[in-house]
Amino acid sequence: MNHDEIKVVVQEKFLSSERVTALLCDAKVFHPEWVKKDRLLAIVEYGDEKAVFCLFSSCYPPKTFTDLSIEIILPIDNSFKCEIDNKPSDPEAILYLNLQSRLSKYKFEIQMTPRVDNFVDDLFRGIEAVNKIPTQPEFVWLKKYSVKNDDQTIAESIMLPKSNMHNTAPVAIRESLIKRKMSDKELEYTFTKNFTVFCGTWNVNDKSPVIPLKGWLSVDQEPPDIYAIGFQELDLSKETFLFDQTMREDEWYCAVLNYIDKRAKYIKVEKVRLVGMLLIVLIKEKHFQNVRNVICDTVGTGIMGKMGNKGGVAIRFDFHNTSICFVNSHLAAHVEEFERRNQDFRDICNRTRFVQIDQQPKSIKDHDHIYWLGDLNYRITEMDPITVKKLVSENNFKPVLEWDQLKQQHNNKNVFSGYTEGPITFKPTYKYDPGTDNWDSSEKHRAPAWCDRIFWKGDTITQLAYRSHPSLNISDHKPVSAIFSSRIKIIDEEKYRRVYEEVIKQLDKLENELIPQVKVDITEVDFGTVKYLELQVRTITIKNIGKLPVEFEFINKLDETQFCKEWLIVEPYKKCICADETCEIQLKVLINKTSACKMNAGTDKLYDILVLHLYGGKDIFITVNGTYQRSCFGCSIEVLVKLNMPIREVPVGKLIELENKRDQAVSNQSTYSIPKEIWFLVDHIYLHGLKEPNLFEQPGLHSEVLQIRDWLDSGSIDPIPGSIHSVAEALLLLLESTVDPIIPYNLQSICLKASANYLQCRQIIMELPEFRKNVFLYLCEFLQEALQHSSENGLDSKTLSTLFGAIFLRDNPNLVQEPQSRINKQIIDKKKAQFVYHFLVNDHSDLMFSR
Amino acid sequence: MTSGPYNYSYIFKYIIIGDMGVGKSCLLHQFTEKKFMADCPHTIGVEFGTRIIEVAGQKIKLQIWDTAGQERFRAVTRSYYRGAAGALMVYDITRRSTYNHLSSWLTDTRNLTNPSTVIFLIGNKSDLDGKRDVTYEEAKQFADENGLMFVEASAKTGQNVEEAFLETAKKIYQSIQDGRLDLNAAESGVQHKPAASARPLAAAPASNNNCAC
Repeated sequence: MNHDEIKVVVQEKFLSSERVTALLCDAKVFHPEWVKKDRLLAIVEYGDEKAVFCLFSSCYPPKTFTDLSIEIILPIDNSFKCEIDNKPSDPEAILYLNLQSRLSKYKFEIQMTPRVDNFVDDLFRGIEAVNKIPTQPEFVWLKKYSVKNDDQTIAESIMLPKSNMHNTAPVAIRESLIKRKMSDKELEYTFTKNFTVFCGTWNVNDKSPVIPLKGWLSVDQEPPDIYAIGFQELDLSKETFLFDQTMREDEWYCAVLNYIDKRAKYIKVEKVRLVGMLLIVLIKEKHFQNVRNVICDTVGTGIMGKMGNKGGVAIRFDFHNTSICFVNSHLAAHVEEFERRNQDFRDICNRTRFVQIDQQPKSIKDHDHIYWLGDLNYRITEMDPITVKKLVSENNFKPVLEWDQLKQQHNNKNVFSGYTEGPITFKPTYKYDPGTDNWDSSEKHRAPAWCDRIFWKGDTITQLAYRSHPSLNISDHKPVSAIFSSRIKIIDEEKYRRVYEEVIKQLDKLENELIPQVKVDITEVDFGTVKYLELQVRTITIKNIGKLPVEFEFINKLDETQFCKEWLIVEPYKKCICADETCEIQLKVLINKTSACKMNAGTDKLYDILVLHLYGGKDIFITVNGTYQRSCFGCSIEVLVKLNMPIREVPVGKLIELENKRDQAVSNQSTYSIPKEIWFLVDHIYLHGLKEPNLFEQPGLHSEVLQIRDWLDSGSIDPIPGSIHSVAEALLLLLESTVDPIIPYNLQSICLKASANYLQCRQIIMELPEFRKNVFLYLCEFLQEALQHSSENGLDSKTLSTLFGAIFLRDNPNLVQEPQSRINKQIIDKKKAQFVYHFLVNDHSDLMFSR
Repeated sequence: MTSGPYNYSYIFKYIIIGDMGVGKSCLLHQFTEKKFMADCPHTIGVEFGTRIIEVAGQKIKLQIWDTAGQERFRAVTRSYYRGAAGALMVYDITRRSTYNHLSSWLTDTRNLTNPSTVIFLIGNKSDLDGKRDVTYEEAKQFADENGLMFVEASAKTGQNVEEAFLETAKKIYQSIQDGRLDLNAAESGVQHKPAASARPLAAAPASNNNCAC
């Protein structure tokens, strides 16, 4: 199936008005738990709108659209971001595609093929197009493809660890479970300590640092542990705006380093700048070793919703066991535009992404402590500027603050929801005539405003101070600062290790518990005495006592081709059992002539160990045993003629010895010319049944045959039990069960060739081993006798010769031959019958007992 | 990317062997659950346990096969030796017969595993020093003569149990580092990076793929 054919299948998943414009068949998506999964990626276009679909296929390649299910939908709107990384070690073969839309971000691994270019081109065309249109597309058409959210997927994969059976996903799940458990137990291995955090913000209005900053950065009794200092309007030049380059960054950074508290040594955690917004985070040198995972991000919300003249810059890091995020933002200007500022805030919240290898991307809200500072640009619009100035000059801020847009919007939860701001006890920080403490004297006559603010979010943060620094007057804004006392969680390494080990142990335990567990009621199945051709059944019960479905199967032991001996039948030998359910397994023993021969010869015994294997778990051994009651059935003729006592009275070893020596020259130890068992049966029929209608044609009763078997084996002195038909059947079964047929296998083909010629047949019989010949002729003689009574018993020589032909000239079951065609088999059967026929119609008494 | 998302980088297969009643299952239970299992029933078959340990900063998953000790199962349990990276051979210090049978267990182990398989001799029930029937020195000598690692341990108190399992893993890991153990050999008993739970019993290789779709 080529790419275009797959594309056709994928297209069928969508409406005809929704066109699949590009497709990648061999993408892998990184799921939240960092498990890579094979997926298809498609770009689908509907009118002007495009979206990326990630599809799961139940088979590969998908045969019909029903094999596909939509897993992820990323609409290409103006929140859509696409970044492409190479795998550093292997830049040629693998690409990582980071796609972000609205609140979701996904990482895909893609094999580098020419199709990737088409796909990426198409993707970027989509991004360009969406940024050209003024209104945000609505993507109504996507609503019908609702997708369940990730949390659900994770929950499911934890609940259903198919794991034990086939895939590796739970390994990664285990990792995330450890993380989750550790964070649940955080209190057990952390203690807290307060650290002071200095946050400062200043819109410097395109000025260089020509004055000392000590009055802003170093005015407190104790040097803070952490400095977070944000600037706005560092550089208003066009070059900065367009090319994002400025000298001012270094100037201000050096100034900061010069004027921070000199009583402590500081080290830079990170600094980040977007156009005129600069955020610097410093920490006391002695704490630096406890800072980890420092990442920054910037979001432009300026012109076209993208440019960096407005927006935010952010730095996050983990300090001890507390995650901290600092945001410096410069929100939309203009007096009336508070809605726009609210939107900027939301955009910064939504679009800031701290991306780290091997981890879920974090957004601002995913932090324990958040400090948000900056020129937020909210104004006072509903109060006459003169009144504002008058009240402010009297330090009567309260009535003015009631009209502060930010206070109002914050109270209405339109912005900074969940954040706190301390009480404002300083004069508005905007707008002054640069170089003075005088209100702006330009023609606009705007009301002064608290543009520069500091918010925080986090349970264990206390603000110690919130103030402006009017003496720093080079800008039209005054700098603002706040001091916080923040409680930081510190890991007690020893306790951490202990808790970690506990968690690991718990998971090990869980994993061991998830190993399939069953209870088998009987592991030693004793069949007691087992007799020839008598089926015995035992039942064992397997109960699934684990937490998962269990699949069991009886498996082969080393170097064996069957999981059990030939005389044993196990049903079912393979099945799946749900938790708490049981399954009954029937073990059936049936000793037929093949196994009886082996039992008699001592090459097999009624003993077997079955290996019951649980997939993903242990093996259970089930021992099967019993005592086979030896019988004349399944013996060889040479052995039977030597037994002058009932077979049950013959010592086991003796029988085995006889069976194994039967091919040796027959000595004169032999007791009988023919086996006595054959004689008993024949004689009984001769005496009582020659005139029985349907002799040898009507079947006997199985139960009576078994009684006759016991009679023969035990040497009973009672009369033979059962009807003539049962005796006749027992005779046939006995003749059939001998180890070799009466005419040995190696003579069969000669017999068949000679079957048309009575003299040749005679010759063959003459040359048979003595006891075989005896049995053969004895039986033929008896059958001739029976045929004398054909008017009563209904026998005819044709039927009898067919019946006995198949017995005397039994096919060798061990001889692997090409499957005989029906016709061929018929011909062979006819020849066998023909062979025997000669001896039923001709007088051969001269052969009898000749030596 | 490293093996970051997985929290182990090797799988070692272990087997535990030795006479019936020497405490093989209890050792396994003590190792995986940190608990002593009193009145532990005889193992009828092969139990399976797992634990992740750390050796030289590497996370290693141990897959431990605890075999039935009864003589009548001996022929069947031989199937499980194949592909073991570590063999813990256990006797009971209070029952001399279990010690006397070690040479037969050792013969099986040597015949059925590969030369790099680490064999660790454990004299279990060291808490029952009063009933001791085999001296430490004697067993130590046996171990030295046959090139086995050796400790006396107690599945009851947990003494030296952890050590036996971990030392075995260290030795295996060392063999990998030295190149003595060929990871690519099918029967090394070690898998690098986690794979789907392979069936270590080689008797049923064909059935492995049954459920793959």
